[in-house]
This record gives sequence, structure tokens and C-alpha cells, in this order.
Amino acid sequence: MAKLLEVEDVVAGYGRGPDILTGTTLSVEAGHVQCIIGPNGAGKSTLMKAIAGLLPLRSGAIRFNGERIDGMRPDQILRKGICFVPQERALFGKMTVRENLRMGGFILDDPRALGQRIDAVLEAFPILGERATQRAGTLSGGQQQMLAMARTLIVEPEIVMLDEPSLGLAPQIVEQMYDIVHMLREKGMTVLLVEQNAAVGLANADRGSVLDLGKTLFEGPASEILSDPRIQELYLGKPSQVA
Amino acid sequence: MADIVQVIILGLALGGVYALMASGLTLVFGVMRIVNLAHPIMIIAGAFVSYWLFTLYGLDPIVSMPIAAIVMFCVGIIVYKLIFEREAASAKYSEMTVLLTFAVAMCFDGLLGTAFSNTQRITSPFYATDAIFLGDVFIPTGQLYAGIASLTVIAALVAFLQFTRFGYAIRATTQNRDAAQLMGVNVGLVSIITFGIGVGLAGAAGALVSFVFSFFPAKHWEWIAILMSLVVLGGMGKLAGAIIGALILATLAAFVSTYIGTTWSTMTFFLALFVILLVRPQGLFGDPLEES
Ligand SMILES: Nc1ncnc2c1ncn2[C@@H]1O[C@H](COP(=O)(O)OP(=O)(O)OP(=O)(O)O)[C@@H](O)[C@H]1O
Ligand SMILES: [Mg+2]
Repeated sequence: MAKLLEVEDVVAGYGRGPDILTGTTLSVEAGHVQCIIGPNGAGKSTLMKAIAGLLPLRSGAIRFNGERIDGMRPDQILRKGICFVPQERALFGKMTVRENLRMGGFILDDPRALGQRIDAVLEAFPILGERATQRAGTLSGGQQQMLAMARTLIVEPEIVMLDEPSLGLAPQIVEQMYDIVHMLREKGMTVLLVEQNAAVGLANADRGSVLDLGKTLFEGPASEILSDPRIQELYLGKPSQVA
Repeated sequence: MADIVQVIILGLALGGVYALMASGLTLVFGVMRIVNLAHPIMIIAGAFVSYWLFTLYGLDPIVSMPIAAIVMFCVGIIVYKLIFEREAASAKYSEMTVLLTFAVAMCFDGLLGTAFSNTQRITSPFYATDAIFLGDVFIPTGQLYAGIASLTVIAALVAFLQFTRFGYAIRATTQNRDAAQLMGVNVGLVSIITFGIGVGLAGAAGALVSFVFSFFPAKHWEWIAILMSLVVLGGMGKLAGAIIGALILATLAAFVSTYIGTTWSTMTFFLALFVILLVRPQGLFGDPLEES
């Protein structure tokens, strides 16, 4: 299958600080759900910020549909078709749910089409529909995450990047989040996500990548990673003797 | 009773002008975290634009308000491009900008002082010295027109921010810069234009100031404190707050002026600034300050 997104030997860090990504390589195939796992501080969020254009690269390349996107501004990268929901969800707390969706479609030029898509999303997510005029900052954590994910539907990007969508959510709500992930894929979008709970993330993904110390250690089918004893020991919290 | 109504009317009319003077300051702070100490000198520069258009061509200052606004908008863009854009990536941006805007204020103060000297000036359109009488109460037409013009511009600004696509971009950038960027907002462009609009609003306010107050370049030092008190009372970066702050403080100052003495009316703003910072540093509408 065609590679949609390719990260090649990317080195990046913050300000004048040390390299956080130390030659990261990653490839994402169109139509898949791919899950990145790795310990705290591995650089997972940093990698997503670099892809989204929020952090400049020190070296390496990022290609999307074969085109170099590193060096582009975040708004240009979004227009190419990459939508990023960061760990802190990037909502506008003082805007209403509807206004947040309106911002989600900021790059759309046709206001009528935008209005229709907003209505469609509010209908597809009744929890949000009921709260269309409520300020986003007053939603519960789960509702906020739902809004952040639903908002990506407005632009229908080619790829959605989700940084820890289940962070701080009850297990039941986490299931709902993954329902949305599958819904995104059914609509033809590719999903790249970071998940702290590796078992849950991989169970919901087609492919997985293991990131540690700013490098990709392994990339392959999610089921393979789930059953690999070394990875189980290191990242899934199960000692290999038992497995 | 009529006395009190009279004082309130005078206060509100002036408050309307103060509101416009403060609106650009709070807008720029909201979006860029720049405390633009050069804002008041930009108002005076705008006042000079209208003053000369009136003196040389007889153009009414309310009519020349858009011209003053556009001229100062361009000045704002140039100043931003030359001075602030390159610092935007600096970690010490906010601290830097205080010094930089102070330097800009000094430069414009010097330039305007050299060009036009520090003599008191005022534009005197025919209505500036008229008054409308309603029973026992009178309304000076100059202040009335200035107040109305000012609130009209503010209403247009609010509509622009609330309903246009660029307005959404400005509000989004104010609330969450990174998130705005992720929604496709070119925050660099938003910053430049917003700074231009802020200085343009100073220019528009200057046109009104040119016939409501007498002015001279060095007067901006006094206005910095006055405008800061309005903006701080409303909550830094809150447009509605700055407007209400302006109306409240101007009315208060009118009472002080009438019942205590004219010389004390300016003190109202300085005292208010102290009291607000001690009692409620986030202002009337600001979010509680984070403890950090
Ligand atoms: N804004 C920043 N400035 C400086 N250093 C940062 C910044 N953000 C992250 N770092 C550093 O980069 C490293 C990687 O952080 P990152 O957030 O990418 O990890 P992560 O894999 O997402 O971890 P987690 O699972 O805890 O979210 C950490 O050592 C962190 O301290
Ligand atoms: Mg992270």
C-alpha cells in the first residue's frame, strides 16, 4: 500500500535544548489506524508536534503524499490534509461548542458548506448537539475530547493525529473514543494516535510503532507487537517469564 | 439631582472617548501579550493627522477619523514589521516588548516634539464649543459627538471580532495561540494585522481627542497611566472590560472633578490603578490570576 506519511531520520528539540527526537523514522499507510507506544518522555508528543509543524526540524525530512512538508507552517500543513489533536486538546475554552466547530472549519471557504457540516457533526454527536451553546471550557473531560475529535470531521482531513485521546478518561468513555477512531477510519481517514495504555491502543490499531529515547525501535502489525514478548516486558508491563 | 445627572452625562461622554482610546491597547495585549506603552503617543500622532487636515484643509475631525485610522494602521504595520516581528520567537517576548514599546514611545515623542513643538493644540470644529440644553442639564456637543463616534467605532470593532472570519481568527489567537494555529490560522499574519488595527484604533481615537482635549506630544506620559487603569480595571485583554472600565472611571473622575476639585480628577485614575491591583489584580472581567 502507498505510504501516506513518511518521517525520515528526524532530529528535533525545543529551543536550544538537547535533541528529543534523535533520528526518528516512521511510516503510515493510507487507511490504517496506527498506534505509537512508548514510555513517558520518549518523544511521542514531540514527534506529533514536529509533523504538525509546531516544532522545526534540526535535520531529516517529513513527506506527505510524497511532498516535503517539513518547514511549512502549521496552517499550511493542515491545508495539505493533516489534522492534529494535541494532548491538551486545543479547544477554545471561552467559545461555545458550535463556535469551536466553526473554528475547526476555519480553512473552509464556503460558509454554507461549513454550516451544514457543523450541523451534521452536532447531529452525529448528540452529547455535543445538546450542548451546542455551552462554552467548551465547561464541558467534562470526555466531552472535551469528543469535541476535539468531532471537530476534525469538519475539515475531513486525510490523516488525523490524536495525542493520547484517552488521557484522564474512564474506561467506558475510552471505548467511546475508540468508536470515534473507527468511525474516522470508516469515513476514509487515516488515524495516527499515541496511546499511554499500549494494550488498549494496539488492540484498536492495525499497525503499531514503538518509540523510545527519540527513536523508533519497532514498527509492524499491531497484533505482532502485542504478542512480542520483549515488547510485552518493556512496554506492556508484563514480565516475559509469565508470557 | 440635576447636578448629579449632569456629572454622569459629562462622565459618560468622556468615558466613551476613553473607551476608544483603550480599546486598541487591550486588543493588542489580548492577542500578542504586548503592553503597548507607545499606544498613547500613537493617539497623539492620530490627533496631529486630524489637526493638520483641519487646519490646512478645513476637514472636520470626525470626517477625518477614518483617514487618521488608516494612516496609523500603516504606521502600526511598519513598526511591528521593523521591531516586534523578529522578537516573536524569543522566550522573553513579553518582557522585551515592554522595553521596546517604551523605546518606540520615546522615539515618536521626540519626532513629534521636534516636528511640531510641545505647544498645546486643539482642533476647533464649530460644534466643539456648543452645548445642547435639556432642561437644567446641558450636554457639550463636542463631547457628545465624540462619545457617539467612539461608541460607533467600538460597535463596529465588536461586530468585526464577533462575526467575521478574521474576527474569529483574532479571538481564537487571543484564547489559545497554538490551537488557533492548528485550526489553520496564520497567527503571524493575525499578529501583524491586529497590531495594525490596535494602532489604527489609536489613530481614530486621536481624531476625537484633537477636539475634546488640548494635546501636545509629551502629554502621552499622563495618558499611559490613565489608559492602563482602564484596561486593568476591565481585565487585561478584555475589550468589553476596557469599555465598561472607561465608562466607570470617567464618570468617577467627573464626580471627583465636580465635588473635590479639577486637579484631583486625574488622580482618580492613578488611585484606581493602585486599588485595583491591590484588591482585584485580574480586574472586573479577568480570569483569576494563576499562582505561579
Ligand atoms: N515545550 C518543551 N520545552 C522543552 N522540553 C520539552 C517540551 N516539551 C517536551 N519536552 C521534553 O521533551 C521530552 C519528550 O517529551 P514528549 O512530551 O514528547 O514525551 P511523550 O513521549 O509524549 O511523553 P508522555 O507519554 O509523558 O506524554 C521530555 O524530556 C520533555 O521534558
Ligand atoms: Mg505526550
